[in-house]
Amino acid sequence: MSRCSFKSSLALLAVLLCAPALLPVSAGEVASSSLGEVAVPEPAKPAGAEACVEPVEVMRREHMNFLLHQRDETVLDGERGSKYSLVGCMDCHNPSDSAETAVRYPDPEHFCAGCHLYASVRIDCFECHADRGLGELQQSLLQAPFDGGLTSLQTFHDQLEKGNVD
Amino acid sequence: MSTELDNIELRPARRQFLKGAAAAAASLVAPGVLLYSVGQASSAGTDKPRWGLLIDTNALSEADVDACVEACQREHGWHSADGSATDAQWIRKVHLTDLRSGEKQVLPMMCQHCAEPPCVDVCPTGASFKRADGIVLVNKHTCIGCRYCMMACPYKARSFIHETLRDQLPVAPRGKGTVESCTLCVHRVDRDGADAVPACAEAVNRGGRKAILFGDLNDPNSEISRRLREQGATRVRADLGLDPGVHYQGV
Repeated sequence: MSRCSFKSSLALLAVLLCAPALLPVSAGEVASSSLGEVAVPEPAKPAGAEACVEPVEVMRREHMNFLLHQRDETVLDGERGSKYSLVGCMDCHNPSDSAETAVRYPDPEHFCAGCHLYASVRIDCFECHADRGLGELQQSLLQAPFDGGLTSLQTFHDQLEKGNVD
Repeated sequence: MSTELDNIELRPARRQFLKGAAAAAASLVAPGVLLYSVGQASSAGTDKPRWGLLIDTNALSEADVDACVEACQREHGWHSADGSATDAQWIRKVHLTDLRSGEKQVLPMMCQHCAEPPCVDVCPTGASFKRADGIVLVNKHTCIGCRYCMMACPYKARSFIHETLRDQLPVAPRGKGTVESCTLCVHRVDRDGADAVPACAEAVNRGGRKAILFGDLNDPNSEISRRLREQGATRVRADLGLDPGVHYQGV
């Protein structure tokens, strides 16, 4: 490298270092908000619920173990009464009676997704399991008039999407 | 000195242990034999239920069988996308024609919940399993989607999920890359026990007529056992010796 080009590189470096000061917006603020601390998610408590099945601190650390244990009891032995049920979680934390208001799993607003995104956890529960509690909606769909044929089945799926029963 | 004492004290304990081991070996043989004899007499009355179905095909019109299929689809949230061979099939319509008389029959065909299920024998991960009450299921948490069980099932009762799914129902989790089949409406059975009515039965059992009857095959006093005893029934491909839990009348 020649002396001349070394000098010009130094000049370029000096310009680059000074550049943030020349920008109209303070680059310091931008850097702190994009690279600084990410707020710890605080998912909302379900409306009207008194308490979770365990204290919040226990649930935060252990919910995955509870669910893992419970799933084998349910699938293999048919134990359905457990308080650690994924369906129970969704019925309380993400009830949905219409598709418009439904919050689906990858959405950061979803009760599970907020923390999982924060903690960089990737789960595949909701590739098979319902990510919302259907509650009364499902019962009303199942008891809807039954006229036979595939058209009524299509109506059923439309109703499941829209969340209303005629 | 102390080690010698220890040895002396240990000797009787060791003899005791060896004696115990011999006894344990003998008792190991005995339950093995016992287990075998119980297995032989599995259809005799035991305190454990074995759930089964009795399907009266004479009481089922083709529209009724369609209603069975649709009820199953609504209950579990599956549907046939385009009628292709890779579609989900928990329950399907089978047409039979007697070549001599030309008599046509239609019957619902689903997992037969065999006592000796070949799908369980071939599963490499143990995901295909039989519950204590005789219901044959796929544990989708351990299913790797190899589809050996689909090959092994003589009733073609199982299907594989090829597509990414959305809007699954809470009672029937199902997802891409796993095998699925009729669960005998296990969520209803777990809730209602012997009074459970599977969705297909509910769709056709109108007005007191029981074209599809669910019940405990091990309980001699259950309605299904009584009807089987009095009227008899056949099982599809009984010659295979799989002891299916689903019985058909009028086939």
